[in-house]
Amino acid sequence: MKKVFPYISIILVFVFISCEEVIQVDLEESEPRLVIEASIIWYKDTNGTEQVIKITETTPFYQEDPAFVENATVKVFSEDGEIFEFAYNRNGEYRNSDFNPDIGLEYELEVNHEEEIYTAMETMVPVTSIDFVEQSESGGFSGEDIEIKAYYTDPVDEENYYLFKFFNEDTSLEFYEDEFTNGNQIFGYYSDEDIEVNDIIEIEMQGISKEYYEYLFILRSQVGSNEGGPFETMPATVKGNIINESNPENYPFGYFRLSEADATTYTVE
Amino acid sequence: MRYLVSLILFLTSSQIFSQETFTLNGVVTDVSSNETLIGVNLIVPSASTGVVTNDYGYYSIKLPQGEYEIEISYLGYKSVRQTIVLNSDKQLDFQLQESSESLDEILITSDVEGLNIRKPEMSVNKLSINTIQKLPVVFGEVDVVKSLLLLPGVSNAGEGSSGFNVRGGAVDQNLILLDEATIYNSSHLFGFFSVFNPDAIKDLKLYKGGIPSKYGGRVSSVLDIYQRDGNSKEFKMQGGIGAISSRLLAEGPIVKDKGSFLVAGRSSYAHLFLKLTDNENSAYFYDLNTKLTYNIDQRNKLLVSGYFGRDVFNISQNFENTYGNAVVNLRWNHIFSDNIFTNLSVIYSDYYYGLNLNFVGFNWDSGISNLNVKYDFNHYINDDLQLKYGVQNTYYKFNPGEIEPIDDESGINYFKLIDKYAFENAFYISAEHKFSDKFSAEYGVRLSNFFRLGQDEVNIYENNNPVEYDAERDIYREAEILDTEEVSRGEIMKSYNNFEPRLALAYTLNEKQSIKASYNRMAQYLHLISNTSSPTPLDVWAPSGSYIKPQILDQYALGYFRNFNENDYSLEIEGFFKQIDNRLDYIDGANLIANNAIERVVLSGEARAYGLELLLRKNKGKLTGWMGYTLSRSEQRTPGRTELEPGINNGNWYRTNYDKTHDLSITGSYEINTKWQLNANFIFQTGLATTFPNAQYEYEGITIPVYGERNGDRLPSYHRLDISATLNPGAGKNKKFESSWNFGIYNLYNRQNAYSISFRENADTGMNEAVRLSLFGIIPSVTYNFKF
Repeated sequence: MKKVFPYISIILVFVFISCEEVIQVDLEESEPRLVIEASIIWYKDTNGTEQVIKITETTPFYQEDPAFVENATVKVFSEDGEIFEFAYNRNGEYRNSDFNPDIGLEYELEVNHEEEIYTAMETMVPVTSIDFVEQSESGGFSGEDIEIKAYYTDPVDEENYYLFKFFNEDTSLEFYEDEFTNGNQIFGYYSDEDIEVNDIIEIEMQGISKEYYEYLFILRSQVGSNEGGPFETMPATVKGNIINESNPENYPFGYFRLSEADATTYTVE
Repeated sequence: MRYLVSLILFLTSSQIFSQETFTLNGVVTDVSSNETLIGVNLIVPSASTGVVTNDYGYYSIKLPQGEYEIEISYLGYKSVRQTIVLNSDKQLDFQLQESSESLDEILITSDVEGLNIRKPEMSVNKLSINTIQKLPVVFGEVDVVKSLLLLPGVSNAGEGSSGFNVRGGAVDQNLILLDEATIYNSSHLFGFFSVFNPDAIKDLKLYKGGIPSKYGGRVSSVLDIYQRDGNSKEFKMQGGIGAISSRLLAEGPIVKDKGSFLVAGRSSYAHLFLKLTDNENSAYFYDLNTKLTYNIDQRNKLLVSGYFGRDVFNISQNFENTYGNAVVNLRWNHIFSDNIFTNLSVIYSDYYYGLNLNFVGFNWDSGISNLNVKYDFNHYINDDLQLKYGVQNTYYKFNPGEIEPIDDESGINYFKLIDKYAFENAFYISAEHKFSDKFSAEYGVRLSNFFRLGQDEVNIYENNNPVEYDAERDIYREAEILDTEEVSRGEIMKSYNNFEPRLALAYTLNEKQSIKASYNRMAQYLHLISNTSSPTPLDVWAPSGSYIKPQILDQYALGYFRNFNENDYSLEIEGFFKQIDNRLDYIDGANLIANNAIERVVLSGEARAYGLELLLRKNKGKLTGWMGYTLSRSEQRTPGRTELEPGINNGNWYRTNYDKTHDLSITGSYEINTKWQLNANFIFQTGLATTFPNAQYEYEGITIPVYGERNGDRLPSYHRLDISATLNPGAGKNKKFESSWNFGIYNLYNRQNAYSISFRENADTGMNEAVRLSLFGIIPSVTYNFKF
């Protein structure tokens, strides 16, 4: 339901003569800001000890290379008093191999970077399992694209939020709430004109919090569907749950969250 | 000129008290069709007085006993002079004949030249339907709203955006009336065409400022459109075949000279060609205008009119989208006495939006409907004073949405968003008053009232606050719903009362120049919930209530008006300032679709706009046309509710999506001979305000742009030139069958105007790039019109 806008933009292009051209637009450059991608994922049937937190800085819009941050100290504290230190590895990645994930347990992230302390609190969110994956060929607006549906059964007695990641050549993120589907068997949906027979698609379903769902909602409004023109939504500042305790004005981007996940692969037939 | 002199005489003459006065009243119609004519001038030179027919062609004038010559003149019609002897109250109808020569056709008509500088009415534009039909337009499709865009103070949020913006106001702030019925969405095909079939329209008037107290409920402008009554003399047909749509209209008598009907249909047919090419997608629109008119007797007339329009989009059976307006209207004109004309209207109007998403497995329905009763009086007290007063009541039902699973296999549950109900009432009175030969005024007041009625579920929030501010994360979010309660529909949950004064003054400097000033306060109780640059058809209307307050406007305008060279040219310069309170803005991430509690995602802010408008017209001769220029600024801001909150966009003023600093349009029409006419438009506008990214980062494998100041950047300037030629092959010959061809070229020099500039990651290189989307390059068109 929330994805009707992109459809409309597509209709416009379908119906009217339009012309797309890559042009040179000079852009202003803002001061770099810290970006913390702290997604602790615990796959079902694993012990979840290997975890990665990624720290970068924003870069000018046209710059190709990312700006990795190497000099931060990264720690996660559990509600039970455990401390997990994440050591710098490479490409902005900080690793810990002894992580102890626990559903429903609260964790705290602490990042120290250039004398400023960034913190966030979050609880690990569980998720149900993927029941099965189905494919059909009536997707997209041509009605001929391959579409993939990953079915799951929503628990009836709770409010659930889901993040689906489909990896083919690119990553596609889909996220759902159960407001209109509570208790039903429903599916995560992926369709792309580039899907071909024999493609191996990795599918991941993660349990997420309501706050993270809202964060993703704003995040997505800034990319992908935002094609400009009359159906453009107003740009927003995508603020996550990580707070700069030392200097609130210099807030970071990104999010600290802990999700249980179910993963599978599907070979397109 | 003659009228001007007579008016001067009239205005300088002193009142005659000694003689008994009688009332002359009646209706002015077209001789060939009995169609009533709006805005006809009746002038009595010897008594130095005059009157203009109202929206139903009615006039009333008081004169002392005696013999008079009356001059009746109307744009595009032959003037008539008639001598009458007045020794009792008299009802006298006039019939005018269309002038066959169109050479001295006036393009934009204000009231008869010369008169306009004296009337307090300002900030009003009228376009004759003849003018609209000649303007070069995209695909050759004659369009009412597109024509209005050529006037100063009227713009839109770019090609293909819905609706129009008046003096920096939003699209939902325009009151659009078709035969007095509210139209909620004026656009077909998401804004590429307007919903008005030009063949079925008689007259239209756009009020940008100095809005009379008769109108209310929207804060920016009033577009008042009247449909034709239909020919009560003989059966006639007319139509046209264009590139996108075709039109057909039939009209004729039900009872000769007493009753008439009119049926007009229009439909696009591009989808038929798509079907031929084996394309399963389609997009089309159609609309139907109908009208029945019956003159019961000299004092009573009944009018029934209807409009039904729909847009349908179909994407490979997976997605179907239908939306449109429907209106039914019954009106009764009654003349109580020779100087009191009344009109009673009972109107039902409805806007529907439906969606069928097969691939997700559900249907979606939403809409707004209202029942409206209006009783309007025109009271002609004496030559110097005319009163208009009346009452208006509207009952609204809002259906914000209903989700229905398509079948048992659908994973979607049935869900109904709570219907909302409201009642809007108004009483108004206004006086058109001549104080002296130099000074006249139109002043009035509207008392409006809005009741938000009970509904099945009303949310209860902590501290009555539906939007929560998270100080730690510095974001706004929807507040928790603590509980809901049921309030019966008969109960008033919240009421608002507003006192809306209106004032317009005209001071005549000399016979060619005048200065006018106006002030109006208006209240708007409905809000279009839309978070995109231009409204989309699926945006829903929400009523004011406990959490959402009505928008209140104050507008001031000052103008200078001048006629040159025997009224060959006229010049209008107006400055305006307006301030709107309680303009809604949306918190970051506001989800407006299928939202049962819109109050949880909106904050109340303010908007303001100011500018200068210039309109220079050439009214006579082989070459006619106008140049309109607007210099303006339109902004809004939403500060925090407390000192600790940042508000939206840090509480700073930002430009609205339709803000254009410069807006210039030049329109010209040249009559080569009776058969050929050439027309051209040139348009130059500052590019629309938009926001460009100033940084980027990667998150979860996706590149996220970081945006700078809201609407702090601009698209490149927009400009284009359009030309068209109209051929009347049978012009001059008095044939039963008339036809004309219109050949047009839109965007002659093929300017690639930016519809949008978006940013994306190039799939091959992985580099970010800017992409300009242009909609209409050069587009030739041919339209054929006929009448018999």
